Amino acid sequence: MNILVVLRMIPDSAGELQLAEDGRGIDREWLDFQLNDFDDHALEEAILLKEGSGATVTAVAIGEGANRVLQMAAARGADEVIALQTEDDAMISSRTIAATIAATARAKSADLVLCGVQSTEDVFGQLAPYVGALLDWPHVSGTNRVLPDGAGLRVTQERGAGVAVTYEMALPAVLGVQTASKAPRYVSGSKLREASKTPIGRATLEPSGFERSAEIRELRLPTQGGSGEDLGNDAENVADRLVAILAANGLARK
Amino acid sequence: MKMIACTEGRSDRVEAFSLEMINAARSIAAAGDEVVAFFAGQAAKAAASSFGAADRLIAADAAGSDLIPAEAYARLLRDTIAAEQPDLVLVPYSANGLDVAADIAARTGWPLLSYVNEIKRDGESLNVVAQMYGGKVLAECVVKLPAVLMVNPGAFEEAMPGPVDAAKVQQFDAMPAIESSRVKMVAIDVPDYADVDLTTAERIVCVGRGIGDEASIDIARDLATILGAEIAGSRPVVDNGWLPKLRQVGKSGQKVKPKLYLALGVSGAPEHLEGMSHADLIIAVNTDPKAPIFNVAHYGATCDLFDLVASLSDRLQASPGR
Ligand SMILES: Cc1cc2nc3c(=O)[nH]c(=O)nc-3n(C[C@H](O)[C@H](O)[C@H](O)COP(=O)(O)OP(=O)(O)OC[C@H]3O[C@@H](n4cnc5c(N)ncnc54)[C@H](O)[C@@H]3O)c2cc1C
Ligand SMILES: Nc1ncnc2c1ncn2[C@@H]1O[C@H](COP(=O)(O)O)[C@@H](O)[C@H]1O
Repeated sequence: MNILVVLRMIPDSAGELQLAEDGRGIDREWLDFQLNDFDDHALEEAILLKEGSGATVTAVAIGEGANRVLQMAAARGADEVIALQTEDDAMISSRTIAATIAATARAKSADLVLCGVQSTEDVFGQLAPYVGALLDWPHVSGTNRVLPDGAGLRVTQERGAGVAVTYEMALPAVLGVQTASKAPRYVSGSKLREASKTPIGRATLEPSGFERSAEIRELRLPTQGGSGEDLGNDAENVADRLVAILAANGLARK
Repeated sequence: MKMIACTEGRSDRVEAFSLEMINAARSIAAAGDEVVAFFAGQAAKAAASSFGAADRLIAADAAGSDLIPAEAYARLLRDTIAAEQPDLVLVPYSANGLDVAADIAARTGWPLLSYVNEIKRDGESLNVVAQMYGGKVLAECVVKLPAVLMVNPGAFEEAMPGPVDAAKVQQFDAMPAIESSRVKMVAIDVPDYADVDLTTAERIVCVGRGIGDEASIDIARDLATILGAEIAGSRPVVDNGWLPKLRQVGKSGQKVKPKLYLALGVSGAPEHLEGMSHADLIIAVNTDPKAPIFNVAHYGATCDLFDLVASLSDRLQASPGR
C-alpha cells in the first residue's frame, strides 16, 4: 500500500491571534505555527498501517515550519518527505491545495490519502472530501480506527454521543482522520537528529481549478465575555467568589 | 430562490439539528421562495411527520439500513440537486455533513463556507458569518449563489415540528445508492450508558488539555468528588486515554445540560461548546483571556487552574455544605 499523508502547519490558536491590518486575515508575523493536531493523528495512523502491513508513507507538509515537521515525520517512519511551497502569509485553504494533493496522490501511485479531519483554517471546506471528490475515490471523515481488511480497509468513524460506526471500504480511498488508533508517538532526540539527514523534496502549488469560494470581507474577534462575569486572575479571590456563587445557586451541598 | 435543507436521522429518529437546518433556510426565505427538506435514511416516516416547516420533503428511504454512509447520502443529494437546481444547499456540520458538504462543492464547483453561524441575504449574494481558529475569530463573508453552506448545530433555533402535507412528500428508494456505495456500513456500536451517563448528571467538572498530564486528572477528580460532580473531559483528554470515551463532552461525545459545569483548561472550541453551552451555570477557568469558552461562561477566571483547584478544594473541604 502507498500512503500519502498531508501535514498542515497552522497558527497556534492557544496563542494570541491579532488581525491583519487589512482586516481580512490574521497577522502571521509573530505567530507560532504548529502541526495541525488531526494531521498528527493522520501521520500516526499512516505509520501504524506501515508497521502493520508494510506500506510506504509519503508525507507532504505545507506552511511555516514544514521542514521541521517533515524531519519529525521521517523520524517517526515516513519514507519520503515533500515540502509544498505556498505563498507566505496565506492561510492554508483546503480548497486551494486539494488539486495539488490529488495530483501528488496520482504521481506517487497512492492507494490511500490520509489527512486530519479538519484544520482551524478550512473555512472554505475540508481537505479529505475535496480530495476524494477530485479523485472520485470514496472518503470517510472523522475516523478513529483504520485497519487493513483484505484488499481494502475497515474504518471506524465517530458519531455523536459516543456512537461509533464501522465501514468496509475499497481502496483507493481518502480518510479524514480524527484520532489515530493509538496516540501519536514520541520521537527521541537521537532519532530526530538521524532523520534530519533525510532529503526534503520540494513541490509547488498547482492551480486549484475552483472559483474562489467567498470573499472574506472582514475578520473580527467575538465579543468577549457575553454576559459573563470576569472573576479575575487571583486564585484565592476566585475561590472565595466561587464558594459564594455555588452557595447562591444552591450548589454548596452535594 | 430555492433552498435545500439537508436533514439526517438514525434508526427511526430524525436528528434535532435537522429542524435547525430547515429553520435556517426559512429565516432567509422571502415570499415565493421555496424551502425543500432533503432526507436520506431509515426515518423517512419521522421526517414526513416532523419537517412541516419546509414547503416540500424529498426523502430517500433507506428502509434496510440503520444509518446511511455519507457516500450514498452525497450521491442521492447530488441527484436531487441536479433535478431541483437549487440556489442554496444547507448541510449540517455533523459527522455525515463533514463528508457531504465539500464533496458537493467540489463536484458542482459551487462555493462552500463551513462553520456558519449567521446567514443574511444581500441581493444576489449572502452575507455569512463563519467561525475560524477554534471559535477565536469570526469571518464575515460574501458568498455568491448558488452555494453550499455547512451550518453549525446550535446556531439556529429548531423549526416547529409538524407533518409535511402528504402531497408535498416525494419519496424514493435509497437502497440502490447504498448498495452501489464503495463504503459499506458493517456495524454500529452504541455505548452502554449504564456506568456513566453525563446527560443526566446535575454537576460536571470538565478538564481540558490545560490539565497537562494524566496524573493531574486526579486533583480534578478529587474536586469533583467534593462537589458531588461527575468528571468529564474534552476530546484531547479522552484521546490521550486519560478519561474513558463516555466521559467526553461535545460533538462526538455527550450533549450535557447540568446545573453546574466547571470547565478547567478547556479552550471552548465550537465542537466542545456544542455539547455544553446550554448548561445552567458555566464556570470557566483558563489562563488565556481570549479563550472562546468565556463567550458562553457565566463566570470566568483567568488564573492557573491548578492554583484554583487547590484553593477551592481547601475551602469546600474546610466548610463542607456551607
Ligand atoms: C468532528 C469533530 C468532533 C469533535 N468533537 C469534540 C468533542 O466531542 N469534544 C471536544 O471537547 N472536542 C471535540 N473536537 C475537538 C475540538 O475541535 C478541540 O480540538 C478540542 O475541544 C480542544 O480541547 P481543549 O479545549 O481541551 O484543548 P485546547 O484547545 O488545547 O485548550 C486548552 C486550554 O487550556 C488552557 N490552559 C492551559 N494550561 C492551563 C492552566 N494551567 N490553567 C488554566 N488554563 C490552562 C489554554 O489556555 C487553552 O485554552 C472535535 C473536533 C472535530 C473535528
Ligand atoms: N501552567 C500553566 N499556567 C498558565 N498557562 C499555561 C500553563 N500551561 C500552559 N499554559 C498556556 O496554555 C496554552 C496551551 O498550553 P500547552 O497545551 O501546554 O502548549 C499555551 O498558550 C500556554 O502558554
